[in-house]
Order: sequence, then structure tokens, then C-alpha cells
Amino acid sequence: MSTHAASVSTAIPATPAPAASNANKALGVGVAGIVLTALGAAVSGNVSGVAVSWLVAIVFWTAISIGMAMLIMIHHLTDAGWSVALRRQFEHGISSFKWLLLLFVPLLLATWLGKGDIVWPWGNLNHVLHGTETVGEDALYWHKSPILNIHSFSVMSVLLFAFLIWVSARLRKASFTQDVDGDVKWTHMNHATSAQSIALTALVLTCIAFFWVMSLDYHWGSTIYGMWFFSDCIRGALSVGVLVQLWLYVRGDFKGILNKKHLHSIGMFVHAFTAFWAYIAVSQYLLIWSANIPEETFWYNLRELNHDGSTNQWWYVSQVLIVLHFLLPFLLLLSYKNKITPSRIGPIAALILGTVLLDLVFNIMPGLKDAHGDARPFLSINLLWILTSVVGVGGVCSWSYLKSFGSTKLIPIRDPRIAECLTHHE
Amino acid sequence: MSEQSHGLIATFNTASGVYHAAQNVRDAGYKHWDCITPFPVHGLDKAMGLKRSLVPVFSLFGGIAGATAAMAMIFYTGAVDYKLIVGGKPFFSPIPAVPITVEAGIFCSAFGAVVGMFILCRFPMLYHPVLKSDRINAALDDKFLIVIEARDPKFNLAQTKALLEKAGGLDVKELEA
Repeated sequence: MSTHAASVSTAIPATPAPAASNANKALGVGVAGIVLTALGAAVSGNVSGVAVSWLVAIVFWTAISIGMAMLIMIHHLTDAGWSVALRRQFEHGISSFKWLLLLFVPLLLATWLGKGDIVWPWGNLNHVLHGTETVGEDALYWHKSPILNIHSFSVMSVLLFAFLIWVSARLRKASFTQDVDGDVKWTHMNHATSAQSIALTALVLTCIAFFWVMSLDYHWGSTIYGMWFFSDCIRGALSVGVLVQLWLYVRGDFKGILNKKHLHSIGMFVHAFTAFWAYIAVSQYLLIWSANIPEETFWYNLRELNHDGSTNQWWYVSQVLIVLHFLLPFLLLLSYKNKITPSRIGPIAALILGTVLLDLVFNIMPGLKDAHGDARPFLSINLLWILTSVVGVGGVCSWSYLKSFGSTKLIPIRDPRIAECLTHHE
Repeated sequence: MSEQSHGLIATFNTASGVYHAAQNVRDAGYKHWDCITPFPVHGLDKAMGLKRSLVPVFSLFGGIAGATAAMAMIFYTGAVDYKLIVGGKPFFSPIPAVPITVEAGIFCSAFGAVVGMFILCRFPMLYHPVLKSDRINAALDDKFLIVIEARDPKFNLAQTKALLEKAGGLDVKELEA
């Protein structure tokens, strides 16, 4: 195997094709998106709408990065062989957590410096809930106030990011150092890191789902919400993984590395987590539907009906989600051909990535209410702010990815299982 | 040797030998033939010109049948045959039927896969001429065999034998049916 690894290392250029100019382009696009979003907040007079749209983008890109970290850890814990080359791309992807923290800070600042309820209603005790009550008069708020207050929330958010930054730095360092010295101890170190951290990462992503997203309607509680968020994390990361692999293949980097079986393997993963998302989404809906308790059903009612009983736009979004986030990709991915043909798996991955965003929009945006306590409609100017935010945060994440991409070898050439990956075979 | 011959059998000493011979037999247009190897040889299915297995099709139809049957059963029992009001819910709603539908769909697709494999492999097969050959023990250890059956339309004792010998086959003999 050592001879094989040696021949591989000579065949692959030390630094992949210039990534620096791409990285700068991505950063430029990202900054443009951020500036546009900031302009929107300043000019449109709709600060809450822009801020919650920004939250959508932060959650979207954080979800993808967490999904990549989880997939790396799953890779190490199962001692997988086929995904070694793909793992390197995920290792570049998880370099983004420190920037995501930086981009999350504006939301904290807005909460600290503004009235407190720009994003999360519980930040302001005088925030009027639907009806006449304010948050300060709400017994349920005081029950949850030990964690839902701006102090705990800020400390918690920074700690969550700190953990993710620490784990990703550890995983990256071990893998990148192995490129240089080829010592197998780095593989063992990653096994240990993954074993210690995977459950904690699950806890962290659950906290992110609970604190950032579920607390937008803090009356509502769903214990499976972390699992829902996990399924979107993994689906987002896998879709990006497919698209990055295809991009590198078309660009030429992955010629001779990526084969049909790699696409088949990741395609099966994408398929499995499509079913997993549906399983979690149905479980949550089914339990709330069966129990039929008003304090739980209101969350779905908000996404279906206005106060006068008319159907609102979110109901159509939910139906679109069932079709585009489950039914269509599930049926398409049943076929072997669709998984191994780049011109087919590419659009399917892009579709899933888009509907992950739509799913997050569906979960986050109805947190914005109008005077009647109805969810503000789906089709609104906020879609523009979601777009600029996603481009802004995404540009920064892509820049972080490309910067890391240019700094190491294309694939982990001295990983003990690299030969197994390159000869991955049916 | 009896009148009926099952076909021709040839021995190969190496995996690459049987691999290249399989390519030759495939290119000669034979349909009813097989390779017998002591371990899976990577790429041999392609060298033999085999298509992907049809098992997934059985699995798909099993899954569709199972899911449809489960949903239909829940609809029939709940909304037609024995209407009961439970928890103030409608007689039939697809929501609570989802878990049973999924379970039945998965069960029947797995069952379809197993049944499909039995059908496609023609199990249970109680007798096969190759198992009577004295070479089969070697083929379970370190030798590789190619068997071309006499029922193949292209089969011609002299020509097929020449093909196998040219492809590197050793000890090409007729196999008793």
C-alpha cells in the first residue's frame, strides 16, 4: 500500500489549481450580500424582517457545516474507506465556524442594543404576545426564563460556536498534519476526537435548533426538533458534498479519483437521509396531530390558517415541502442510474439543498407575526433579504472553504485507507 | 459419457486468465455460460457482459404492493367496514396510517428482494451438472472455471472448444448433463 500511496502523491499536484482568485471572488460576493442586507435593515424600516432573514441564512450555513462535521466524525467512527477523498472537502468546509460566529454577532448586538425583540420575542419583557398579554406577564416565559434571557442566550451561543470551532480545528489539524508526516497516530487521534465529540455535537446542534429556531415561538416545544435539524444538517452537507465532487470532477481535479461507485455510495446516503427527514417530520406532526393539544397544535395552525380561518401561504409551502423535500427526491433516488449520472445527481442535490433552505424558512419566518398574531405571508420582501443573506453568509463560507482548499493536498494522500478509497468498487 | 452433454468446461489457473477469457466468450456472443471462481473477482461481471441484477425491480414492486395494501386496509377497516370514533378524529386520515404504511412497504420490499433473488437464481436448485464434475473442489480453492452450456444457440462443440482453448482454457472437456 505504501508504494501505492507514493505513486498517488506524485500524480497529484502539491497545490491544487489556483484557488486564491476564486476565494477572493467568493469573498467579494459575500461582502456584497452582507452590504445589501445591511442596507435593507437600514433603509427598509423592516429591521425584524431583515434580522430574521439573516437568522435563516446563519442557520442554513451553520447546518451545512455541522452536517459536514458530523459526516467526518461518522466517517472516522465507522473507519470508512470509500469517503476518504470526500472527507477532505468536508474538512475544508468546517473551517467556517469562526466566521459564522462573527456573522452571528450582529443578531446578538441587535438584541442587546435594540428593544430586545428584534429577532426573538422573549428578549423584550414588554413584547406584546397575541392578545393582550406581554412576555413579562406570561407565566410560561418566567418558567423558561433561566435559559431564555439575553445573558444565558449570548453565553450559550458563544459556547456552542466555541465547541464547534474547537472540534473542527482538531479534526482538521490531525488530517492535514498526516499529509506531511504520514503518521498513523493522527488517524487514531481522529477516531478518539470523533468518539468523544459526536454525542456532544448532537447536543450542540439540538441546542442550536432549540435556542435559535424553536424559541422564536417559545410557547411551543417539540423534543424531536433537534433530530429534525440534524436531518437537514446532514442533507445539506451531503448535497454540498455531491456538488463539490462534481465541480472538482468537471474542473479536472477529481479526474481519476471520483468514480461511479463513489457517486453511488454518497447517493445512497442522500437517499437514506431523504427518508430520515420524512420520518422525523411525520413523527413530529403525527404526535402533535394525535394529542391535539392547543399549546402544541398552534405551531402548525400558524403555518396553515389565519385567525379568521382562511388558508395562508405557509400551507402551500408545507405541501411543496412534502413533494420537493421528500417525495420527488425519494422516488428519483430509487434509481441506480440517477445516482451515478452526474447530470442527474447534480440537479437532485441542488434541489435538496434548495429545499433545506425552504424547510428552514418554513420553520423560522412564521416567527414574524402581524397585528392579528397571524404569520406574515411567505411571499414578501423578506424573500429578497433571505436571498441577500444566504448569498452574503454563503460567500464568506465559500471563501473560507476555498482558502482552506488551496492550503492543503487535494486528497488525504497518506491516510491509511486512501488506496481503498481510490479503488472503491462495486 | 451420456448422449446429453451439459456443455464444455475449461479450467484457468489465474483470476486474470479467467477474466480475459470471459471477455473473449462475451465478445463471441454466448448467452448461456458462467464463470465459477473461489472468490469474487472484481470487474468479472462487466467482463462477462452481465447487466445489473433485476432484484431491485422485485423490491420496488414489493414495496408498492405492501404500502398500498396497508393504506387500503386501514382505509377499509376504519372508514368503511367498522366505523368507530376514536379521539374525535376522522374515520380515515393518511397521517396516522403513515407508520403502518411505511412498515408494510419496507417489509414487502425486503420480502420482494428475497423472493426476487430466489426466482432469478432459480432456487431451490437441487442438482447442477457442474457439481458432479471432479473439478468443482479445485474451483472452490484455487482454480477458475468457465462453463459454456450446450443449449446456447451459438454452441458448437468444435468451435466452442477452440474458443476456450484459444482463450487460455486448460483441459477443455465435455460436461455430463
